[in-house]
Amino acid sequence: MASLTVVAFFVALMLSSALGFVAHDWSAEVGISYAPPAFIAAGARETTGAGLETAAAVTGPKPVDISDVDPLAPRYAEWRERAGKIESVRFHPSATLPLGGDKWGRDVLKKTIKGSEVSITVGLVAALLAVALGAVFGATAGYWGGRVDDMFEWLYNVFTSIPYILLILAFAAVLSRGLATIILILGLTGWTGVYRLMRAEYIKHAGREYVRAAQAIGASHAARMFRHILPNTGHVMLVQLSQHVVQFIKAEVILSFLGLGVPVSMVSWGTMLAEAQEELVIGKWWQLVAAGTSMAVLVTAVSLLTDAMRDALDPRLR
Amino acid sequence: MSILPRINLIAGYGGRNSKPPAGIGLLSYLRALLKSKTPRLAIIRPMPSTRLRVRAAALLACMVAAVAGVAAAAGPAQGLKVVRFAFRAVETGFDPQRVDDLYSSAVNGEIFESLLQFDYLARPVRLMPQVAERVPEPEEGGLVYTFHLKQGVYFADDPAFRGRRRELVAGDAVYALKRLRDPRNRAPYAWLVENRIVGLDEAHDAAVQSGAFDYDAPVAGLQVLDRYTLRIRLKRPDFNFLYIFTMPQTAPVAREVIEAYAADTMAHPVGTGPFRLVQWVRRSKIVLERNPVYRGDVLETAYADPKDPIDQRVIRELTGKRLPQLDRVELYPIEEEQPRFLAFMNGEHDLLQETPAAYINQVLPGGHLAPTLARAGVGFQREVAPSITYDLFQMENPVVGGYTPSQVALRRAMVLGHDRGAEIAIVRRGVDVPAQSPVPPGVVGYDAGFNSGAEQDFDPARAQALLDLYGFVDRDGDGFRERPDGSLLVIDYMHSTGGQTARALAELWEKSMRRIGIRLVPRAVQFSDQIRDRKAGKFMLASAAWAADYPDAQNFLQLLYGPYSGDSNDSRFRLPAYDRLYEQALAMPDSPERNALYREMCRLMLAYAPWRLGIDRVFVNLYRPWVLGYKKHPMYHISLRFLDVDLALQQAAAGP
Amino acid sequence: MTAFILRRLWQMVPTLAGVILLVFFLFNWVGGDPALVLAGKVADPATIANIRRQLGVDQPYWVQLWIFVKQVFTFDFGRSWSTNEEVAHVILTRIGPTLTIMVPVMLIGTTLAVLFAVLVAYVRGTLTDRIVMIVATTAMSVSFLVYIIVFQWLFGFRFGIFPVQGWTDDFWTNLTRYAPLPIILAVLVGLAPELRLYRSFFLEELEQDYVRTARAKGLSEARVLLRHVLRNALIPILTNIGIYLPGLFVGSFLLEVFFAIPGLGREIIGAVNRSDFPVIKAVTVYLAMFTMLVNLLVDLAYRFVDPRVTFR
Repeated sequence: MASLTVVAFFVALMLSSALGFVAHDWSAEVGISYAPPAFIAAGARETTGAGLETAAAVTGPKPVDISDVDPLAPRYAEWRERAGKIESVRFHPSATLPLGGDKWGRDVLKKTIKGSEVSITVGLVAALLAVALGAVFGATAGYWGGRVDDMFEWLYNVFTSIPYILLILAFAAVLSRGLATIILILGLTGWTGVYRLMRAEYIKHAGREYVRAAQAIGASHAARMFRHILPNTGHVMLVQLSQHVVQFIKAEVILSFLGLGVPVSMVSWGTMLAEAQEELVIGKWWQLVAAGTSMAVLVTAVSLLTDAMRDALDPRLR
Repeated sequence: MSILPRINLIAGYGGRNSKPPAGIGLLSYLRALLKSKTPRLAIIRPMPSTRLRVRAAALLACMVAAVAGVAAAAGPAQGLKVVRFAFRAVETGFDPQRVDDLYSSAVNGEIFESLLQFDYLARPVRLMPQVAERVPEPEEGGLVYTFHLKQGVYFADDPAFRGRRRELVAGDAVYALKRLRDPRNRAPYAWLVENRIVGLDEAHDAAVQSGAFDYDAPVAGLQVLDRYTLRIRLKRPDFNFLYIFTMPQTAPVAREVIEAYAADTMAHPVGTGPFRLVQWVRRSKIVLERNPVYRGDVLETAYADPKDPIDQRVIRELTGKRLPQLDRVELYPIEEEQPRFLAFMNGEHDLLQETPAAYINQVLPGGHLAPTLARAGVGFQREVAPSITYDLFQMENPVVGGYTPSQVALRRAMVLGHDRGAEIAIVRRGVDVPAQSPVPPGVVGYDAGFNSGAEQDFDPARAQALLDLYGFVDRDGDGFRERPDGSLLVIDYMHSTGGQTARALAELWEKSMRRIGIRLVPRAVQFSDQIRDRKAGKFMLASAAWAADYPDAQNFLQLLYGPYSGDSNDSRFRLPAYDRLYEQALAMPDSPERNALYREMCRLMLAYAPWRLGIDRVFVNLYRPWVLGYKKHPMYHISLRFLDVDLALQQAAAGP
Repeated sequence: MTAFILRRLWQMVPTLAGVILLVFFLFNWVGGDPALVLAGKVADPATIANIRRQLGVDQPYWVQLWIFVKQVFTFDFGRSWSTNEEVAHVILTRIGPTLTIMVPVMLIGTTLAVLFAVLVAYVRGTLTDRIVMIVATTAMSVSFLVYIIVFQWLFGFRFGIFPVQGWTDDFWTNLTRYAPLPIILAVLVGLAPELRLYRSFFLEELEQDYVRTARAKGLSEARVLLRHVLRNALIPILTNIGIYLPGLFVGSFLLEVFFAIPGLGREIIGAVNRSDFPVIKAVTVYLAMFTMLVNLLVDLAYRFVDPRVTFR
C-alpha cells in the first residue's frame, strides 16, 4: 500500500506540474550558480568560476567605432535615449536553495518535479504505445491464427532477433531528435513482450466456452475480440504497462545521457543525471542525488506495485 | 586543425576508396582465425559436455588472442623514455592526404615531414623550413614559389622499398599534392590546392571523367626542376600560399608505399619524420617509436623570447640534446571527459592537453594550481588558441537575414541580448575569453586593439531599446515580441546533439532571448543533418566554431566572403563592400596596409552582424614534472620531437 | 534431431529476410544522406555528387537493396564511412574487449544470482526473504548511469583502487587490471533483477507435485532444492541466459564508453553519432543471425537438461 501511495503521489505531482500548479517556473534562475542545498551548513566556502576571467578581463582598449559603416547609425541618439529609460531589473539571487541549484542557479527541487513530469510522461506514453501495439498485434494474431498469426509471428521474430539496445540505437541513428521521437522509439521497439503474452491469452480464450457462446448469439469478430476477450486480459496488460513504464523511464535516462534525449527547453531526470556527471567531480552532488533518488523511489514503488498487482490478479505467479 | 575538436569528434571524417579493394570478408577472417587453432566451429553438434566446454573455451581464447593482437609487449623496458597521454577524440588514420581531423594530423605531423614548419618557440608563429632548405620567397608577385629540398632525407625503412634506402625527392612532394586532388582519395583538405595551382584542377577533372587519376601526366604548375627542386605556379597571386606547406596534408609521401598498401594506406604511414607508427589499435591506442633512420634535429633558439619563462625552461631543458629524445609515445583516444581527466590525475598519463572545462575548478581553483597538483610538481600552461566559436545567422532567411536597418537591428539586438558573460562564467567555467573580432589571437592580422565589447557584450537595455525602436514590440501581450508587420517572431536555433556544452549554450540562448522578449526554440540535430541544413541554408541561427587551418586572418575572414556562400560561408553573408576588401587583401603580402583592410572587414561584420561572436578558446594544458621541453604551439596539437623525459624524476614519483 | 535442426534453420530464412528489410528500410530510406557527413567541412556539390555515386546511394532503392543483400551474404560490408576501416575488421577487433568484460560478468553474475536465489528460496517467506527482495527491488530502481558515475568516481578516483580507464593488447592485463571495476559494476547491477527472476523460477518449481513427493520421501529441504528444484528451474534460467547471450556482444555500451574500453558497444555508439551506417547495419544483421542461432542452441540444450523435452 505504501507503494501505491508513493505512485499516487508522483502521479499527482506530475499532473499538478503539467497543469502548472507547481514548478511551472522551474527554468527561472532563483539562486546563484550551484547554490548549495539549504540544509548544508551555510559556511560552505564558495568558489565560483576558476577566477580566470578576472585575469582575462583586463581593461581593454577603446571600443571600436563603427558609426561610419553602421546602418543603424542615423538613429543612434534615439537608441541611446530609449536605452537609458529601460531600467534593468535588480535581481538578488539567493545563496542557498531547498535542494540546491544547478549551474544556472535554477532550483533543483523544481527541476526534479518538472523532470518527473517529463520522465513519467515519456515512460507512460511510450508504455501505453507499446502495450497498445502489443495488445492489438497479439489479439489479432492470437484470435485469427493461421496466416495472420504467421505474419505477426514473423514480425515478432524479426524484432526480437535484434538485441533490444541495438534496435533502439538503430532507430535513434536515423530518426530526428525530440520528445516524440523518444516515445516513438521506445514504443516501436518495446511491444514484443506484450505481444507474446497477449497472443497466448487470446489463443487460450478464443477456444473458451464463453467466446463460443458469444459467437452463437451472433457477436461479431470485433465484438468478441474487444468486448469479450479483452476485459479478461486486462490484468496482463496492466502488469505489462507498469513494467514497461519502469523500463522506459530507465531507458529515457540512458538515451538522454547519449544525447538522444528530450529537447533543451525541457528537463527530465535523464538530462539532470547527464548534467550531474560532471557536477559530481566538482563536488556538486545535489542534482545527482535529487534526480537519482526521486527516480529510484518512483521506480521502486511502481515495481512493488506491479508485484502486488501480479500476485492479486494472477494467482498462478508469484 | 580543422573545425574544433568537438565537431571532429562527431565527424571523424575520412576517406573511403571508391571500391572496397579485394575485401577480406568476415568469412575469410573467421577462417583464418579458426584454421590454426581449432578444428571446426562445430559446437552445434551434441558432444560430451566437457569437450564442448573445452572447445568453447579454446575458441574464445583464440578469438581473444587474435583480437588482442600478436604484439603482447608487456610494458616498456626500463630506461626507455616514454610519454603517455590522451586525445580527446578518436583518430581517423595516418594517410596524411586523406584526413583532416586534429588528432590524426597531429600524429601524421610526427611521422611525416612537410616542406615547411613553424618554429617551436617563436610567437607570433614563424615559418621555418623542414625538409625544404629554406622558406621560399614569393616570385613574380606571389605567383611562383620554388622549393629546394634538403639532400639526404630518407624515408623510414619499409618492405615496400625492397631493402633499399629511399631518399625523399621533389617528385614525392608533387605526388602528395596530386593525391590531394585525386577524386578517389576524397581528400577533405583538397580545397588547400583547389583552384590554386596551374593545371591541377584540369588533372582532377580528367580523373573524374576517366575514373583514375593519371599521376604520370605532368601538371604545368608542378614542375620538378631537378631531383631536389620543385617549382609551383599559381593561377593567382597568393601570399598565404606557403602556410599550406606546414600542414601534414601536403607532406611528401612515397608512391611505392601508397601503392603497396593501397588497400589500407591509413594503417601504413611511412615518412621521414622523427617517429614511426609501431602499433595501432583503432580508436583505442596509438604507439609511436623513435624512427631510427631519422636524421636528427636540435632546438632552434634564435626566435625565442629570452624573457619568457617557458622559453627559458625549454631552452634549459633541451639545449645540447639531439632530438627526438623520446623512445616511445603512447596515445589513447578517450572521448569521455571524466576518464581522460582522471587518467592524468591518477598519474597514468604524463600530459593533459585541453583540460576539460568541467574540472577546471579542481585544477586551477581561483586561477592558481591546486595544492595537490603543485605538490606533485605538475606544470601548467594556459593557451589562447587560434580558434573561435560563433553563432551564425542565415542571411537569406526572411526573418533573421537581410541588410535593411530593421533587419540589421533584430540581429544586433539578439547579439546584445545574449548573455555572453554567463556563457563564459557558467558554460565555459570562466576559462575562455570573449572574442573581440572574427580573427582570434595568434594569427597574422590579429588586432589586439580591436575592442568590440560595445556591440557584442551583454546589454539587455540597449537590446530592448533597439527592438522597440524598429517596431519589434509585443502587440498581443503574450510576453513575446512580434515582427514590425505584426507577424509572429520565432527564432529557430540549430545546435548539435550530445554534449552538455551544446545543450547549455542552447539553454542560454533561450533564456537570454526570453529576457528581451524574443521567442527562441532550440533544435537539436544530428551532426550529418546539421551539416546538410547549414550547407543548404535551412536554418535561422546555428552554432559554429572555427580553428585556424593556417595562422592568417584570411582563414577566418573567408567565412564571410560572398562568393563562398553555401560553401565555407554558411551564413551566406554577401556585402559588396566586404567582398571588395577581401579581394584587395588577398593580393597583398602581410603588411600594415593589409591589416587595415582586415580591420575594416571586422568592422563591417560588427555593423551587419551576420555572426554573434562567442569566445576565443583558452586551453589549460598540464604536464608532469618529468616532462621536459613542453611548450604548446598554437598550430600544432603536440610537438613530440621537442619533448624529453627526466627518467630519475619519473621513477622517484613512481616509487612511493 | 537432424530434421529438427534443419527445419529450424529453414524457419530462420524469412526472419532473416525481415531483419534485412527492416535494417534496409531504416538506414537507406529513413536515414539521412551520408555524403554530407563524408564530404568534410568545405563540400561543394560536385564533391557530394561524387561521394553519392561512390557509395551507390544515387541508385534506385531496389538496386541498393540488392547491394545490401549481397553484402550480407558475402560478409563484406565494405569499409566504415568515417574511418575507412573494413567493417569486418571493426567487428572482429571490437568483440574481444567486449567479451573480456561480458563473459566474466555473465559467469559470475549468473552463478551468484542462482546461488542467492536458492538461498532466498530456501528461506522464502521469512523476514530475510522480504528484506532481500525489497533491497533488490530498490537496487534495481537506481539508474545504471548513477551506479557508473558514482562507482567510477569513488573507486577509480577517490580511493584509486582501480585504474579509471585503459586497455592493452594483453588479455591478462586487461582482465586483471582494467576489467575488474566494470565487471564488478555490471555484476552488482545485474544481480538484483536476476535474483528476483530466478527466485520466482524456484518458487514456481517448489509448487510442483514432484517436490511434494520428494518431501514426502523425507528428503531434507536443502536436498530437495539442490537436487530436484535446481535442475528443473534450470530450464527457464537457461532460456533467460539465451535471451541475454546475444546482448553480450553489444556489451554494456555505457561501461565501454565510461571506461574507454574499445569494444563493440562503444563502436556502435560512435557509429550512431557519426552516422556511420555500414557499421551499424553490419552489427545489427550479424547479431540478429547470431541470436537466431543461440535460440536454436538453447532449444537443443533443453534436451541435455531435461530429457523429457522432445524435438517436434
